[in-house]
Amino acid sequence: MNIANLLSAIEDWPISAVMRGETPGTEWVFPIVETLHVMAFTIVVGSIAMVDLRLLGVASRNSAVSRLTKEVLPWTWAAWIVAAACGTLLFLAKAGTYAGNLQFRLKFVCMGLAALNMLVFHLGAYRQVAHWDLGRPPASAKVAGALSMSLWIAVVFFGRWIGFTT
Amino acid sequence: MFRPFADWLADTPLSKTLQDHSWVVPTSQSLHILAVSIVFGSACMINLRLLGVGRSGRSVSQLSNSVVPWMWGGLAVLLFTGIVQIITEPVRQFVTPMFWAKMMMILVVGAMTALYARAVRRNAPAWDAAATRPWTAKLFALLSTLLWLAIIVCGRFIGYTWSFYA
Repeated sequence: MNIANLLSAIEDWPISAVMRGETPGTEWVFPIVETLHVMAFTIVVGSIAMVDLRLLGVASRNSAVSRLTKEVLPWTWAAWIVAAACGTLLFLAKAGTYAGNLQFRLKFVCMGLAALNMLVFHLGAYRQVAHWDLGRPPASAKVAGALSMSLWIAVVFFGRWIGFTT
Repeated sequence: MFRPFADWLADTPLSKTLQDHSWVVPTSQSLHILAVSIVFGSACMINLRLLGVGRSGRSVSQLSNSVVPWMWGGLAVLLFTGIVQIITEPVRQFVTPMFWAKMMMILVVGAMTALYARAVRRNAPAWDAAATRPWTAKLFALLSTLLWLAIIVCGRFIGYTWSFYA
């Protein structure tokens, strides 16, 4: 089974028809799920920005980085799970169209790069966080913060653009 | 009643210029969503703190004084990008009750936030100790959260409802 067949099989699922609003009474499912997706990712982006701005030395300069990440990141992950679940449901509506959409693909490239950036940061600069917890983050941490902010802003832009190009 | 005004606005040279550039609306909407992340994220931080959810090393007044300026900055971006969208697509905004409900709720939550910020500035010690915190604190937190969620719902639903009324 190739990808095209798989995508069209997904579009034939009953839940995909519900997401497209084809069944009477389900017309509002897509907008509602989309709204939940928006609510969840505003928390994802807002909470990540808090950590990034701390790494960049713009905000929360009096808070320890390790404390800030411990307080904030559980909310980021919880919201990310909601955003991803809602995003998956949205995808089901027009799986083939979205999979072939340039902005959709670029959005996922950016999220992949953001994940990679996070991994490099946690295995790199963050290991020695005790040395700079209350002070100025090292250059590698600043780069991680700047990359993270830029990539998540790009994710929001590409995400919004999907709605104008599909 | 607002339809003639919307039609007039849509016919002005400024609106026509913006309409001619197809990137204006998606760009403005993307910036709008990023600003929602800041404002809604900030509101959640303050409200969760007042409701006693999560851990925080900072007192209510410390948290509010550092977060509220970000809210006003984010609201300024929301106002600007919102006005760009109104000028470009006035009919889409003015015909749906969702737009007007959203504007009313923004006025209410904006005034509430300003009053809250003033109360905390004027009497920080009373707000910092749970025992002396005004009873209105939890009410404010609950109402503010619900209003922001409803504002996001209305904002997203402008795009899905305007064609019924146009």
